[in-house]
Amino acid sequence: MGKIIELIDISATYGEEIVLKDVNLTINSNDFIGIIGPNGGGKTTLVKLMVGLLKPVKGQIIKYKANGRDTKNQIGYLPQISRFDTRFPISVIDVVLSGLVSDKAVFKRYTQADKDKAVELLTRMGISDLYSRPIGELSGGQMQRVFLCRAIITSPSLLILDEPNTFVDSKFEADLYDILLELNKTMAIIVVTHDIGTISYYVKTIACVNKYLNYHPSNIITEKQLAAYGCPIQIITHGDIPHTVLKKHNH
Amino acid sequence: MAELFELISYSFFSKALLAALLASISCGIAGTYIVARRKVFIAGGITHASFGGIGMGYFFGINPMLGGAAFGLLSALGIEFISKKTEIREDSAIGIIWSFGMALGIIFIFLTPGYAPNLMTYLFGNILTVSDADINFMIILCSLLILFFILFYRIILFISFDEEYAQSHKLPVNTFNYILIALVALVIVLNIRVIGIILVISYLTIPQSAANLLTRNFKHIIIYSVIFGILGSITGLYISYVADLPSGAIIIFVFVVLYLAIWLLKYFHQKHRLHRQLK
Repeated sequence: MGKIIELIDISATYGEEIVLKDVNLTINSNDFIGIIGPNGGGKTTLVKLMVGLLKPVKGQIIKYKANGRDTKNQIGYLPQISRFDTRFPISVIDVVLSGLVSDKAVFKRYTQADKDKAVELLTRMGISDLYSRPIGELSGGQMQRVFLCRAIITSPSLLILDEPNTFVDSKFEADLYDILLELNKTMAIIVVTHDIGTISYYVKTIACVNKYLNYHPSNIITEKQLAAYGCPIQIITHGDIPHTVLKKHNH
Repeated sequence: MAELFELISYSFFSKALLAALLASISCGIAGTYIVARRKVFIAGGITHASFGGIGMGYFFGINPMLGGAAFGLLSALGIEFISKKTEIREDSAIGIIWSFGMALGIIFIFLTPGYAPNLMTYLFGNILTVSDADINFMIILCSLLILFFILFYRIILFISFDEEYAQSHKLPVNTFNYILIALVALVIVLNIRVIGIILVISYLTIPQSAANLLTRNFKHIIIYSVIFGILGSITGLYISYVADLPSGAIIIFVFVVLYLAIWLLKYFHQKHRLHRQLK
């Protein structure tokens, strides 16, 4: 168990508006954190800070060498898929392999081992038959799986998923979380979501983000606690006890 | 057919064929990039803005193509910069630069004493008057483009598809964006002599769109559009010679016919396949 990334007193702005203020968060190597919060509360900003797309106006982000990996590509990232140009001429396998581009020397081609790895990941996601298809011919859920493959092909030490349940059919949603549990054995995982109901069965801890970040060291949280964290979210319960989210239980 | 071979034996015509070949290669590559990234409007902006440089060249008595290249490059880098770093929306920025370049060109040509005899050549191009120097520049640019796209193919594809992810992987996204748009600008300006300001966008979009009907693989779109470009240019040149019509316009006409033919073939092929599957 080691630190992967540490956010110290981070503040971030969007234009003139302060989106995040005095945020502290440490991610350790076997964490499984659910990040929840209202829209506009700064969830995506937090993700962008961690993957290096945004610089904080105040504070410090420290990345540690974890699992013997270089700090360069230690974070795999599943962006929200709504922003893609799905008519872009690229095949499924090329999208997955593109995750490796920055790991390779500039002129190096993909090796057979790289391609095998990509096909293996696609097989694990149950979509290996689609590997030569243009990305635009896939459904939202299938696309999501392709991007997940791209994110984990480098075997990152931290995987961040931004709203992975958008576009995902309910059958795959359960599969997705099982895949994440499996991946969590070798990498830390952060899931950003507004659907706290399902995810809380799987995550170990919860971070509420609404300008400030409140870390909740358990996956059981009540609406009262959420309100106290300044994170007014309705909990959609999937369990028996109303307004409380419980650890994974047997139905 | 014999007529065609006789034609090729004329030096001006073989030079025109070479120019068409180089235009097809350079535009095939650059066009695939701009079509895939939906930068066609930017290409239009660069093309028209370079007219300002051409006019300036006339006025100051320097090579108009040099002025055109300078304006083309500046507007390309300017549009890229404005859309990334400022609040101005990209399409508005293009509109401003597009019309400002044209306006400057008109002012300078108006101020230039005497008649500007080659002006029409720049607007509509004339593949038959391409000089040896133009051909040499085109050969250099084509080699540069091919080399760049072979060496950095995976990075170009990655950045074009998902800039943000490439950035999160610490790839030099901005550097590549600037280099690529600069190459596009050079392709456009060098092809103005061949195809003309008004028509250059055709070489950058029609063969690519036709290719895109057949494949959705970036690399194959490049190869097919080069082939379509060459086919369309040669057919167009021949028709324009036989029918005594302007070559640029005829080439575009052939391009569009080619596009429609492929579209129809694809349509009936799909219908036929569906029909067979339903049986």
